[in-house]
Amino acid sequence: MNAPDRRAALEGVGDSRLRKEDARFIQGKGNYVDDMKLPGMLHMDIVRSPLAHARIKKIHKEAALAIPGVYAVLTADDLKPLKLHWMPTLAGDVAAVLADTKVHFQMQEVAVVIADDRYIAADAVEAVEVEYEELPAVIDPYKALEPGAPVLREDLAGKTEGAHGKREHHNHIFTWESGDKTATDAVFASAPVTAKEHIVYPRVHPCPLETCGCVASFDPVRGELTTYMTSQAPHIVRTVVSMLSGIPESKVRIVSPDIGGGFGNKVGVYPGYVCAIVASIVLGRPVKWVEDRIENISSTAFARDYHMDGEIAATREGRILGLRVNVIADHGAFDACADPSKFPAGMFHICSGSYDIRAAYCQVKGVYTNKATGGVAYRCSFRVTEAVYVIERLVDILAQQLGMDKAEIRAKNFIRKEQFPYKSPFGFEYDSGDYHRGLQKVLDACDYKGLRAEQTAKRADPNSPTLMGIGLVSFTEVMGAGPSKMCDILGVGMFDSCEIRVHPTGSAIARMGTISTGQGHQTTYAQIIATELGLPSELIQVEEGDTSTAPYGLGTYGSRSTPVAGAAIAMAARKIHAKARKIAANLLEVGESDLDWEIDRFKVKGDDARFKTMKDIAWAAYNQPPAGLEPGLEAVHYYDPPNFTFPFGIYLCVVDIDRGTGETKVRRFYALDDCGTRINPMIIEGQLHGGLTEGYAVAMGQQMPFDAQGNLLGNTLMDYFLPTAVETPKWETDHTVTPSPHHPIGAKGVAESPHVGSIPTFTSAVVDAFAHLGVRHMEMPHSAYRVWQQLQQSGVAL
Amino acid sequence: MEVKIDKRYELAVAPARAWAVLRDVKVVAGCMPGATITEQVDDKHYKGSVKVKVGPANASFAGDIEVLALDEAAMKLQLLGKGSDRAGSSASMDLTATVESGDAAGAAVLAGQAKVTVNGKFAQFGARMMVPVSEMLLAQFADNFRAATATAASESSATPAVPAKPNEISALAVLWGLIKGWIAGLFAKRA
Repeated sequence: MNAPDRRAALEGVGDSRLRKEDARFIQGKGNYVDDMKLPGMLHMDIVRSPLAHARIKKIHKEAALAIPGVYAVLTADDLKPLKLHWMPTLAGDVAAVLADTKVHFQMQEVAVVIADDRYIAADAVEAVEVEYEELPAVIDPYKALEPGAPVLREDLAGKTEGAHGKREHHNHIFTWESGDKTATDAVFASAPVTAKEHIVYPRVHPCPLETCGCVASFDPVRGELTTYMTSQAPHIVRTVVSMLSGIPESKVRIVSPDIGGGFGNKVGVYPGYVCAIVASIVLGRPVKWVEDRIENISSTAFARDYHMDGEIAATREGRILGLRVNVIADHGAFDACADPSKFPAGMFHICSGSYDIRAAYCQVKGVYTNKATGGVAYRCSFRVTEAVYVIERLVDILAQQLGMDKAEIRAKNFIRKEQFPYKSPFGFEYDSGDYHRGLQKVLDACDYKGLRAEQTAKRADPNSPTLMGIGLVSFTEVMGAGPSKMCDILGVGMFDSCEIRVHPTGSAIARMGTISTGQGHQTTYAQIIATELGLPSELIQVEEGDTSTAPYGLGTYGSRSTPVAGAAIAMAARKIHAKARKIAANLLEVGESDLDWEIDRFKVKGDDARFKTMKDIAWAAYNQPPAGLEPGLEAVHYYDPPNFTFPFGIYLCVVDIDRGTGETKVRRFYALDDCGTRINPMIIEGQLHGGLTEGYAVAMGQQMPFDAQGNLLGNTLMDYFLPTAVETPKWETDHTVTPSPHHPIGAKGVAESPHVGSIPTFTSAVVDAFAHLGVRHMEMPHSAYRVWQQLQQSGVAL
Repeated sequence: MEVKIDKRYELAVAPARAWAVLRDVKVVAGCMPGATITEQVDDKHYKGSVKVKVGPANASFAGDIEVLALDEAAMKLQLLGKGSDRAGSSASMDLTATVESGDAAGAAVLAGQAKVTVNGKFAQFGARMMVPVSEMLLAQFADNFRAATATAASESSATPAVPAKPNEISALAVLWGLIKGWIAGLFAKRA
């Protein structure tokens, strides 16, 4: 075979190799938590609070226990002797496992029932009677901070010091700030132009197709606990379970089997997991718990709920001088945000975006309310979606105020290619980027000038049945958390890991600390190894999710798999590669420096006929290693990234809004992404489609509406918008490639960019349709009803 | 979930007669679809229950009624009813009902203002239906109340009788009533 054929045969980096996972998924042969059936398995169901804030007066279990087939009803009082009625959260707070004297949000876990089957368990849940004394609920985070607001967390009474510094009010969690306040205030005091807007990012839910659940199985003879669990971070769960239960980590095995979507929802440890584990230990039998859809939307980790006051300062010519953002963050009843420990507002300080801004400052105040806990990154790196939304809205608003074009103001303020590595005013060091090239490519591809001309003509025509809007967004993400000098979770540095073992006949297995929730790791990780080691992808097995076999890793979220674990793979492969070179030199009887690496083989410099392929070397590694070299061909690498990666993109959206109904039709959506080196273009395309569709869902319909009493009024899929093929617009994708200079293969991560980038693009387009009528900002979601209200208000409804 | 309702119902009896019915909490409660007074604690406090049937599922709200004010001169009654089901879903109603003179001689008007708060399952699943369902229930209440005043008038007794009625709210019946009302509304608009 010639070199190009040999390269193609590897199906390595850059190859649109078909997903290895699909064969089993499309045949219905995936293996999800709810597919697990263990001998003697019991089922658990949860009694939940119908009220958002109430004192528990009494729980009557008798009627439930009298039902045949019911084994146990557990409440906080039963967990108390084990000290498991409260548990630590990822954010340094504690959360009730089962409500202890008080319920803090609607659908909070109050008791669990364990029974022979799911139906008996559900009947028994109905039979548990709970007497409550209603308390006034606090739903509005601003009202939560008023002096006379009801005290939500009585367990924190007198605690003035939280996990992230001083608490200034009984419902206050933390105040976190970044940037230079004094310098920023000074810029604002003297800036010729300033613009300001209150921007709300509503509470939404990641809503993966598979809900959360687990099967806990404690072996009382061996003292071993095995738990199959929907977890995006099985190793962290193992550490937490070991700490909580006292069972040594070596006897705790957490297995994440196939996972039907995570999007951040499956990062945390939920009461259901803990109760199922306790039940299994107490009863000595496996216990399965799988939530239903309503439970998933109502009680597991939400995202966003950021109430942002953004201000931007500029010259009259549109050069941005300063940025100031003050946020009230509604964290719900317990602070269970999944962020690196030192960053209670995640990476929100990426909010200076793609722009070269001299002075910037942001402050985030976390607040308790009577809502469910969470605050996860819904398909984004920690709080990056909120950050991109606020800066992109502000830049649009500033442009509008100055009468400038959206594209022009962006080009004017972009960080220039030659400024990289660029130090942001918040202290990030952006690794690489070329924003101007991306913007120009998008404007040309979409004929931006033509679109604006069409829009002008439409605006001039009073009989036009639609309003036309053009949205344009340029975003920069911060991915790959993260360097352990900055990022840890519960004290564990956010490295990730890979173990590669090359077998004697030239196939290999790689075990990883991450876990795919649909990203296609089995496919793409193998491609990295294929390119690094010259072994065909097809011969490389990738295993993840079983803590008994996989090396310790922090899991999959925040697009960290490729930036962190992908790097670990390359580094582990390079260790093997170095050993292989020694073996090849020995076999070919030359010095190591006399060898050149080419695709799948080492060859003697200047003599193509003398070579050893990696397959040959693998055999020799076991059977004829050079003297003094231990046999075998394997390596482990724990990768602690030196920096984050900073993928970026330019998105353009054209909408037509029906003046009669308020319906928004997405005519065109053009997404240009730059995620650095592209491992599998087909999978990237799929990731983009998925992310854009979820972004569309958030912008156009997803919302968790609460009434004043804390009732969640939209927790079924009748109300909560999950777009199907019917609603989803057509996506056009494009790319540039600006590799990350510090990543071993230059890859930056991609899965979340389309979600982060598309949401402000939709808002930008919808608002743009009304821009000539003086509208500067409209709150999400842009449902037909809301847009229709705006049509009425602006006097353009038909 | 909180709804405020302000309604006026015309009655074909004299105000004094209507007041005689209204001032009797047991009868008033009896006029509410699905509601029964189970116990009188004292002259201001009662215990009662409301049964709701949604398809195969039954919910029974048990609760307390407190007479906040009973103004004979103004013919005004103020009640606070609070209840919850076994799982803790709750409902409360703060009701002010007044008997006023009607336009015609010998006629009266029953004016009611109510603030209904519902928490839990019914709020989650029924939020959109709350206003029409409440109005529908109140319309049934008004019918029962009229019947009570009529019986009382014909028997000319001092104690009005509790009218006979189904002893639970059937959600399906309410839904059917709403659909009928909606269709009727459509045609009414066309006409």
